[in-house]
Amino acid sequence: MLGFLVGEALRDLRRAGRVAVSAILLITLSLAALGGFWLVSANLDRAVGRWRDRVRIIVYLRREPAEADLPALLERVHGVPGVASAVYVSRTDALHALKQVLGKDAGVVESLPTNPLPASIEVTPTAAGATPDGARELVTRLGALPEVEEVAGGVDWVERLAQWQRLLATIGLGVGAVLALAAILSVTTATTLVVHARRRETEIMRLVGAPELTIRLPLLLQGMLQGLAGAALALAVLTLIHSLVAPRLEPLVNLTLGLPRIAFLTPLALAGLGLGGALLGALGGWLARGGREA
Amino acid sequence: MIELHRVSKVYAVGPVKVPALSDVSFRVDKGEFVVLAGPSGAGKTTLLRLLYRAELPSEGEVEVLGADVSALGRAEVAALRRSIGVVFQDAKLLPVRTVYENVAFVLRVLGTPRRDITARVFDALRGVGLSSRAQAYPAQLSQGEAQRAALARAIVRRPPLLLADEPTGSLDDAMAAEILEVLRDIWAGGTTVVLATHQGRVAAALRRRTIALEAGRVVKDEG
Repeated sequence: MLGFLVGEALRDLRRAGRVAVSAILLITLSLAALGGFWLVSANLDRAVGRWRDRVRIIVYLRREPAEADLPALLERVHGVPGVASAVYVSRTDALHALKQVLGKDAGVVESLPTNPLPASIEVTPTAAGATPDGARELVTRLGALPEVEEVAGGVDWVERLAQWQRLLATIGLGVGAVLALAAILSVTTATTLVVHARRRETEIMRLVGAPELTIRLPLLLQGMLQGLAGAALALAVLTLIHSLVAPRLEPLVNLTLGLPRIAFLTPLALAGLGLGGALLGALGGWLARGGREA
Repeated sequence: MIELHRVSKVYAVGPVKVPALSDVSFRVDKGEFVVLAGPSGAGKTTLLRLLYRAELPSEGEVEVLGADVSALGRAEVAALRRSIGVVFQDAKLLPVRTVYENVAFVLRVLGTPRRDITARVFDALRGVGLSSRAQAYPAQLSQGEAQRAALARAIVRRPPLLLADEPTGSLDDAMAAEILEVLRDIWAGGTTVVLATHQGRVAAALRRRTIALEAGRVVKDEG
């Protein structure tokens, strides 16, 4: 029976012809747009997550503390609410780090008459201290310590990145929803043509006492087939674009966002897009199911 | 098998009420061959539509195969129709399917196992003398052959009741005689047949019980 129903659905799909093709392409477009935004948004989300883990606050000291005073200073910094850990960086360590960063240009540092870098304490905040408000409070508290010259760092830019990620996800959903609506209407049009084309089959089926499900299921199935075909095409397009574009963008993304590679959609997301396509098609088919007859 | 008790059917065309059947009562027993005769507009088609529950009576009771058709739900209507074969003047064949596929279509929509379909389709086609045309498309058939294909489709489920609405209406005498012969064979196989026709010569040729309708009323029931 299933073979018959699928066979009828395929026959209906052929009947719908170019209208079915345009419906499939619209589904492809809507799912590819949705998938594209999803992909970018998921990678931004990863970047935000990584940066949140890496948030550091640098506490610059007025003068390099004596070795005997250092444990007490670190203990006081550690005691500030919102501090997870504190690591002292001496002026010498800072200069060494600068040389490493400069690499082959490290000779510039040698030409300086004195070490211009201050001693500092690198603070890793707790989860509460890594939120925008928590970080601001932490900076204020650390800045109030008498040994502190200046406090640098915060999480505001990470939050801005997170806001961009959320905005992008919202735009993606909006664009996807508009295109999905167009796709549903297109499937509905294609299915309406099918309903008209198969009215004689429907008449015969009703006349011989076929169950209502057998009469209507092919319509639903041909809509779902359009949706699945659209989803398969959308996934193929996304895979192609990702394989072509990602290797070219990865150096830039690594430099700016610290993401070594642009990940493709997860299997769950791919399954979601496929299911979404099938549902779009089925909804279009269901909307065009036609009235019941005697 | 069939019992109508004081059945009336009125169609509402806007504010106008058009009576199609008035106070019709008769009974058809299992194994009978009954001719519904009468001119166009006499109510024959309406009467047949009541029998396979495409219409509901405005008044009265229609009982078919033990079921009061007015009391049936959707699933029960479908079940009733699975026991009734129906053919029309227009054979209503599916144009993009071969004769074989047209007949098999009915079995497939009703979930008949695939292994049984071929044998049953060819049985039905042999029954109407059309097995040699199994692979022909409706456009390649004569009107008589198309009507025989429609009959094969109606009997392939071996229904106990066959309703034929003007099956010879558009055929010449020779083709009409062939169809009547096929109907006789089907009836001889044990199927109850109700045949509606406006052609007096068909009713006369069959020499079976004839219920004559005029303006929606039974004017004669004899034979």
